[in-house]
Amino acid sequence: MVNIKELQASIGETPILKGLNLEIKPGEVHAIMGPNGSGKSTLASVLAGREDYEVTGGAVDFEGQDLLEMDATERARSGLFLAFQYPVEIPGVSNINFMRAAVNGKREHDGLEPIKGKDFLNLVKEKASLVELDGRLRNRSVNEGFSGGEKKRNEIFQMAMLEPRFAVLDETDSGLDIDALRIVANGVNAMRSPDRSFLVITHYQRLLDYIVPDFVHVLVDGKIVLSGDKDLALKLEEKGYDWIKEDVIA
Amino acid sequence: MTGTAEPIVMDLKRAPNVHAATQAKGEALRAALAAQRTGTGLAAEQLDALPVPHRRVERWKHTPVAGFWSTPEAPSVQTIEAAGSEACPVPGLHAYRMVFVNGTFDAKASDLPVHNGVRCEPISMSDADAGSQGPLESTDWFAALNQAFATEGMKLHVAKGVILDRPLLVHHHTSGENNANFMRHDIHIEANAQVELIHWSTASDSSTGMVNIMTHMSVESGAVVALDKVQDEAGSLQHLAFEQINQAQSSQVRVHTGTIQGNWVRNDLNFRLNGEGCETVLNGFFLPKGKEFVDNHTTVDHRAAHCNSSEQYQGILYGTSSGVFNGKVFVRPHAQQTNAYQQNGNILVTDKATINAKPELEIYADDVKCSHGCTIGQFDEEALFYARSRGIGEKEAKAMLVHAFIGDVLEGFAVAEVRMEVEHRLAIKHGWDTWNDTLESA
Repeated sequence: MVNIKELQASIGETPILKGLNLEIKPGEVHAIMGPNGSGKSTLASVLAGREDYEVTGGAVDFEGQDLLEMDATERARSGLFLAFQYPVEIPGVSNINFMRAAVNGKREHDGLEPIKGKDFLNLVKEKASLVELDGRLRNRSVNEGFSGGEKKRNEIFQMAMLEPRFAVLDETDSGLDIDALRIVANGVNAMRSPDRSFLVITHYQRLLDYIVPDFVHVLVDGKIVLSGDKDLALKLEEKGYDWIKEDVIA
Repeated sequence: MTGTAEPIVMDLKRAPNVHAATQAKGEALRAALAAQRTGTGLAAEQLDALPVPHRRVERWKHTPVAGFWSTPEAPSVQTIEAAGSEACPVPGLHAYRMVFVNGTFDAKASDLPVHNGVRCEPISMSDADAGSQGPLESTDWFAALNQAFATEGMKLHVAKGVILDRPLLVHHHTSGENNANFMRHDIHIEANAQVELIHWSTASDSSTGMVNIMTHMSVESGAVVALDKVQDEAGSLQHLAFEQINQAQSSQVRVHTGTIQGNWVRNDLNFRLNGEGCETVLNGFFLPKGKEFVDNHTTVDHRAAHCNSSEQYQGILYGTSSGVFNGKVFVRPHAQQTNAYQQNGNILVTDKATINAKPELEIYADDVKCSHGCTIGQFDEEALFYARSRGIGEKEAKAMLVHAFIGDVLEGFAVAEVRMEVEHRLAIKHGWDTWNDTLESA
């Protein structure tokens, strides 16, 4: 589904990703862990098409298409979704109108008519219940005045509405208490399917208790230096990252 | 009240260091007008005493005036039919209508209100002499020019307690070159009457010259007035609009000014709150693009206690356009318990667009609540990326942010059809596909 080859990216003059390789097959859940500043969020941003980063080398294949050739809108319409680490507040734009524009953008891409108002509201109702997002939040401005947990639940709600083929969750667990974490993880798990893949970026193993990954990768200094199964996450939780720097890289 | 400066007289009292060329041009314009027109003869003396505005006069500091003046010509067309335009610019609007074309009343295109207690007629057909409009209230040269040469306009009188059943649209259309169109609207709303007014200005693509519209409105106690003012003029006109609105006790006035299109627009909107318990709302938006220029000068003069005024002007400036916002709030010494709010937000879309924004609060009472805020910024890039990452196209995302930015102002327009047509016209001008209709009510 997603094949990342020798990906290099910089912000300004500073190289962040330095030849990253990763292949994700349909239905797989991959987790990326790593110390601060290793390039985890840069990877998420580059995949989603944020223009602040310059891709200086490598390639990303997304279902047979050259992902790096597409702009952010096209990527989303083609089935890529990024759950933001810091969801953006947009005062004056209601959550529900925002989502309808997003859903209709995707439908236009798929050659479908805009969704009917009633069908859309039914869809909202169904997907909102997945993350226990109440009606009050649906009608408010996008993320404005939402608590940290509400913002993250809103991200998963949006993901559920758009039904992406490939979802990148960028530190979705940051700022969540246990209850919110469980709700968010349940929402993600409900969406797992044989033709949908996830890339879960996290600092902590805790999230992976709820969203159990097929593979865990360790990102250090812009490269994946170690891969394993879910037990690797436990080992990292216990021993930290220093041993990797010493044993694996050295 | 003694010892307090008059808010709109202040500039005059300065000895201006006149720019000779501007002065000469202004005088030439006036002489040309005097030679070819029979003015009302009013205000000639006042006009003599007034300086032609130029950039060293504070109220005209950022407003280039001299570039447009040329030799005025008699209007080429005098009916909306001859101008090839629509009598009503708002589809589906069920309203009374007064149509003026190049400063001339077009009776055929108009639909005057027939209503007990409502007198509405063009000045040219009014028994009352045009000179009965009272003393000159503005000390601006352009206003005096209007007073000297305006021979047409609307006279509206709504008697005590009358509620006009439909909005009243005043449509002013300009067509042809080297115009000098002066309009004067005198509006008198008696106690407890209620009326919705729409002032809509249009112009043909090739129109040039000056459009100068003055509105005097006297709103008596307990009366309720809404004025939706829309400027959507093609061509390259110099559009000057002055409104002087005097409110008596417990009256309510809401004015919404939307500048959709206009080569050069100057709005002077002035309120005097003369009685206690007045409610005043003045909101506006301007979205100039290309080389357009839009200037909003407002004055809210709190002369009595217990009045509320609320002001919000939102500007989004594209291309090499420029804008001015100057909002003066004046609170007189015994206007205690005044509640005055002012907000002005601006987005500069390009690095070549300009805004000169200036809130001016002069407060001489000690038990008041006055607040003001002014922002100048860019489109929120994070919000744009967020929307795009959800599959929303860049254009649509920007339209969404625009709608959010001016949404409060748009919502305030009194007549729904006006609001919808404003949105439609904006979408055409800026190439947005559609505005998102709202689902909240579904």
